[in-house]
Parts: sequence; C-alpha cells; structure tokens
Amino acid sequence: MSQLFPMKQVLGFVFSLLLTTVALAVYFLDMSFAAGMTILLVTAFIQAGLQLVVFMHAGETKDKSAIYTNVFYGLIIALVTVFGTLLAMVWDM
Amino acid sequence: MKIDNSLPLEYSTEENSLKILGFWIFLGAEIMLFATLFATYFTLENRTGSGPTGAEIFQITPVLFETIILLTSSFTVGLGIHAMRIGKQKAMVTFFSITLLLGLAFLGVEIFEFVTYVHEGAGIQTSAFTSALLTTLGTHGAHVTLGFFWGLFIILQIKKRGLTPQTTNKAFIFSLYWHFLDVVWIFIFSFIYLKGMM
Repeated sequence: MSQLFPMKQVLGFVFSLLLTTVALAVYFLDMSFAAGMTILLVTAFIQAGLQLVVFMHAGETKDKSAIYTNVFYGLIIALVTVFGTLLAMVWDM
Repeated sequence: MKIDNSLPLEYSTEENSLKILGFWIFLGAEIMLFATLFATYFTLENRTGSGPTGAEIFQITPVLFETIILLTSSFTVGLGIHAMRIGKQKAMVTFFSITLLLGLAFLGVEIFEFVTYVHEGAGIQTSAFTSALLTTLGTHGAHVTLGFFWGLFIILQIKKRGLTPQTTNKAFIFSLYWHFLDVVWIFIFSFIYLKGMM
C-alpha cells in the first residue's frame, strides 16, 4: 500500500496545500495591496513550479532541456502579454 | 519498434517521447492562450458599468472548495501515474477514477457558482468585467469538461488493452493536461478571486 504513495508526491501535495493557506492570508488578514500582491505572486509561481517538477516529471528524461526551453518560452510570451497590456491599458505609461 | 526498457513504459519508444514533447509544446501555447485571457481580465476588471463588482459577487467558500478539489485531483492523477509506472493497473484505474470524480465535483461547484452569478445579475453580457470574468472561468471550465471525457476514454482503453507503450503514453499525456489545468486554476484563484476580495 505504502508504495502507492511515494514520499515525494505526498510532500508535494502537503506543500501545495500549505501554499494555498499562505495565499489565503491576503483574504483573512488586513494588509496593503502591494503586500497582498507580493504574497500572491510568490505563492502562485512556487505552486506552478512545484506542479511542473514534482507532478509533471519535467526534468526526468533526456528531452528535459527541450521541455524547459518550451515552457520558459511560453512563460515569457505570457508575461510580456500580461505586463505589456497592463503598461499600455491600465498603468497608462 | 525499438523499445528501451531502461525508461518508463510511456517513454519507451522514440515515437512516445516525441508525443510527450509535442504535448509540452501544446501546453506552451495554452500558457499563452490563458495569458491573453488574464491580460483582458486585468484591463477590464474595473469596468463594471451598472453591474456588480468582483468584491460584491465573489464568495470564499465555493472558491476554496474548487481549489482544494482541484489540488487533490492533481495529486491523485500523479499517484495514478506512479502506480502505472510500477505496473499496478488496478491502483492506477482507481486513482484515475477518483481524479475524474473530483473533476466532476469541481464542475458541479463551478456551475453552482455561475448560476449564483446570473441570479445576482452578473451574466456574461452585464458589463465588460463580467464578460472577461466568465470568459476566463468558462475557458478553464471547458478544459476541465474536455479533460473529464478524455480521462474517461483513457480508463476504458486501459481496462480493455492493459498497460502497453501506447496506453501508458496516452495516460501520461492526459496527466500532463490535468496538472496544467490545476496550474491555471492556481492563477485564477490568486489573481482573480483573492485579488478581487482583498
């Protein structure tokens, strides 16, 4: 039975629940917008990295450099899209 | 077909590992798709017109349920892949079935949430904010719905054909898709719901 629950994945799951709890602090505690956004950015990106490495087995095979290059490419386009839009449409710069 | 026994079954042929890489490239495109939805949402989130704001319609309880359900389903599909790699077909099918049931529970809560929004006067045509919100949530929900049927057919095929290089490859690719949906949800949870309720 215990071989069906590998330590790495169980710990990954516990850690992801922990990150969710930390993120919830922005709802239950009173804090500034900047502090809240910092917590959310940090917890969300750690959570995404955790899924990628622990659950999606991204770094286990010989195609790992192709996988990571592709993920980072997608991520860079995503960040440019989101922050470029914010710059032009919301922050009025 | 050359089978390399030093690798897990889903990676054992050249074609298999290319299919997995190909799916990663698809996920890269999906990251960009959701980025455009988030960019639109961030632009329009304060354009509420005469409709309600996010702070008025968001509720922490259903959102928390959705988050925990989806995180758990991501964990169980991971356990399913682990069971598959050690050759335990029965355990794998059980974990995959739990994953799909959690997926259904997630969709149930999300549909309940959408119905509540519409009752509170926040339909998809109410304001720029509700359009962007429901399009983003709906695109994620549509992905989960597709994933449910995809996973169902994977389970049926594994029951019929057993664990072969082909079926394990399909199951592994499905697990990548499911984990990716969890990642997207984490961003929806953080930057739509929690940010909106802060």
